[in-house]
Amino acid sequence: MPNLTKYVTPGRRLCFSEGVTAGPGVYERGEYLYASVVGVVQELAPTTEGEPRVVTVTREKVHSAVPDVGSIITGKVIRMTTKEAVVSIMVVGNMPCKDDFQGIIRSQDVRATEKDKVKIYNSFRLGDIVRAEVISLGDARSYYLSTAKNELGVIYAQSVAGAVMIPISWQEMQCTKTKTMEPRKCAKPDIPLPEK
Amino acid sequence: MVDRRRIQGPEVSVAPIIIKSADKRTCLKDEHSRRRDGRNLEDICPIFLKTGLISQANGSAFIEIRRTKIACGVYGPRQTKIPSFSGKGNLNVEIKFAPFSCQKRRQPYRDAQEKDLSQLVIEALVPSIRLDLLPKSTIDIYITVLENDGTASCLAAAITCASVAVADAGIEMLDLVPASSASYIGGEIYMDSDLAEEQHETGYLILSYMPSLKEVTHILQSGDVDLALTTQAFEQCTDACSKIYSVMINSLLLPIRDTQ
Amino acid sequence: MVKNSLAFEAETFRKIQPQEYLRRFIQGNIRPDGRSLSQFRPTTVNQSCITTTNGSSMVRIGNTTVVCGIKAEVATPKFNSPLEGYLVPNIDLSPICSPKFKPGPPGELAQVLSENLNNLLKSASVLDLTSLCIKEGIAVWVLYIDLVCVNYDGNIYDASVIGMITALTNVKLPEATFEESSGLVKATEELSVTLKLQRIPYSVTVALFDGQHLLVDPTEVEESITSEQITIVFDEVGQLCSIWKVGGLPSSPEHLKQCMNIARERYKQISMIVKSSI
Repeated sequence: MPNLTKYVTPGRRLCFSEGVTAGPGVYERGEYLYASVVGVVQELAPTTEGEPRVVTVTREKVHSAVPDVGSIITGKVIRMTTKEAVVSIMVVGNMPCKDDFQGIIRSQDVRATEKDKVKIYNSFRLGDIVRAEVISLGDARSYYLSTAKNELGVIYAQSVAGAVMIPISWQEMQCTKTKTMEPRKCAKPDIPLPEK
Repeated sequence: MVDRRRIQGPEVSVAPIIIKSADKRTCLKDEHSRRRDGRNLEDICPIFLKTGLISQANGSAFIEIRRTKIACGVYGPRQTKIPSFSGKGNLNVEIKFAPFSCQKRRQPYRDAQEKDLSQLVIEALVPSIRLDLLPKSTIDIYITVLENDGTASCLAAAITCASVAVADAGIEMLDLVPASSASYIGGEIYMDSDLAEEQHETGYLILSYMPSLKEVTHILQSGDVDLALTTQAFEQCTDACSKIYSVMINSLLLPIRDTQ
Repeated sequence: MVKNSLAFEAETFRKIQPQEYLRRFIQGNIRPDGRSLSQFRPTTVNQSCITTTNGSSMVRIGNTTVVCGIKAEVATPKFNSPLEGYLVPNIDLSPICSPKFKPGPPGELAQVLSENLNNLLKSASVLDLTSLCIKEGIAVWVLYIDLVCVNYDGNIYDASVIGMITALTNVKLPEATFEESSGLVKATEELSVTLKLQRIPYSVTVALFDGQHLLVDPTEVEESITSEQITIVFDEVGQLCSIWKVGGLPSSPEHLKQCMNIARERYKQISMIVKSSI
């Protein structure tokens, strides 16, 4: 019965916790479920028979995105060494971050095969826009990212001449102005961003 | 040392000495126990609370109680600058008094009182925010006091305002945290006292309370006060918090209703 | 194929390619917030809103909000100008108003703005400093003009100038006298003395995008993308008080002339808004 819509604020007691699971925006305390964000309460019927119902509170306002393990991010390459490329994470999924987070793509995470032959310099250049997946929360400073999938990698780049480049193969891009080739780990185009 | 980053005035300047026109003894209440602004001792002032005024922040709120005016902006969750891995989010609060906010001009530097008050706000808010869901992130809460009409009630207003701003930012929390204050003056409890009343107080109580969970997040009491009086003040403050709570809920839901 | 690689969602596109995002809007003669290129954001002024000050104002231009408070104190005048008081303008861009600003002492922008406000007060001689004299050579008023930005969405200088000038016009000082016997300055409780400003300057800021499009009253996003900004300050009789151009690229005299005309028109608007706020 997904008809129960109403607006709540954090701390609002929603229902008894027995037989109901706390979804996003809801927490359990004692024998009750409470809302933890401002938004709309929804009660989702179980997908399969015998499963408990799920209560969620969906935020009204778009909040700032935070990267999590498994999320697809879009960002800009801001620093490079021979071992890794540092990426400023700008967008998580389809949600822009208000403030950028920092992530790194280590050379072993650039592609799935022949990992030992990867050269960071032949995969990314400074200023490239890349799409990558968060593989771990990483160290104190950065999230660890990976581009080891077909649909991940460079999605927008400028050539040495300053023109936009188009992907030719999964490891080469061509300048639209001078027709020179430059090596990149390209993302396979035409694939829309996977939902959630 | 000369601060070259600010425009400097003369080396020394003082507030002028005011000649009081007549010896007006300020009477805090009349024979009907009404205070100077017509309130009863246990009444709190009407509150103006509005969210979302700072467009650059993730969440924000503005509160006005009597002459006290406080703006609060919440930034984050954003990347922690502290160079150590933490599985829990980090909460950072900075209270700033505008130089013109008090009777006497404040220096623009961050002083001990501001640091002290910031710490109190952190202590009052931390139990209410689900920081365990935000690894590697920091929530920055910046509070600017534009006008101060009683420090205890100002701190209570700052906590209330910050809590609403955090909720406005869409950060997961257990409950909103309203805060209220009481002053002990001549063996009586004055709720939500203003600047003039505060100068006569012998002590104060500030209570931060989560009404829905019925849990106290922070309590601060000072002065030499009878235990019975403290208990009474505590009860009055919890009542006041429940009243403030409904104002907070309204301020958060109003923008949503308006767009419907 | 090229189009394909750029096929982001609008929000994502704005974040990743802000310059290109703005350019597409400008080509359609409109700005991301729906204004035309020559349209100012709604401006409001509140006077005497803070009671702990001698004079105060709150100015909003679009989302940009600045609160100005003036507090008067007493000090000894400088030796070589025994009749002149002090005006000390400072602006605080605290981290509450934008994620760009960090806590701590004033950053570069705040320093530049404070310095510019100070220069404007001095060079345009907005206030006759001798009117702040209490006793020659011994005591004068110091007016601390503190501006606090609560929300930073571009064009902070225009908002600051309006804030500072309106706060100055509503300053009320107590009647102060110097007592020879005690050597102290005594002041009355009532605030009765007002200041008379010699000139009332307001500023207008125009950003130059791609070296050809003039965007009046730029927002924070527009400011960060455009490299040149021109600020023009006029007074009430249409006399020029200052021109301030930021950015490295040259701009043509035609642009400057256009900006002047915009500024003249805008001055009337601002003075109307300020007048109606009393």
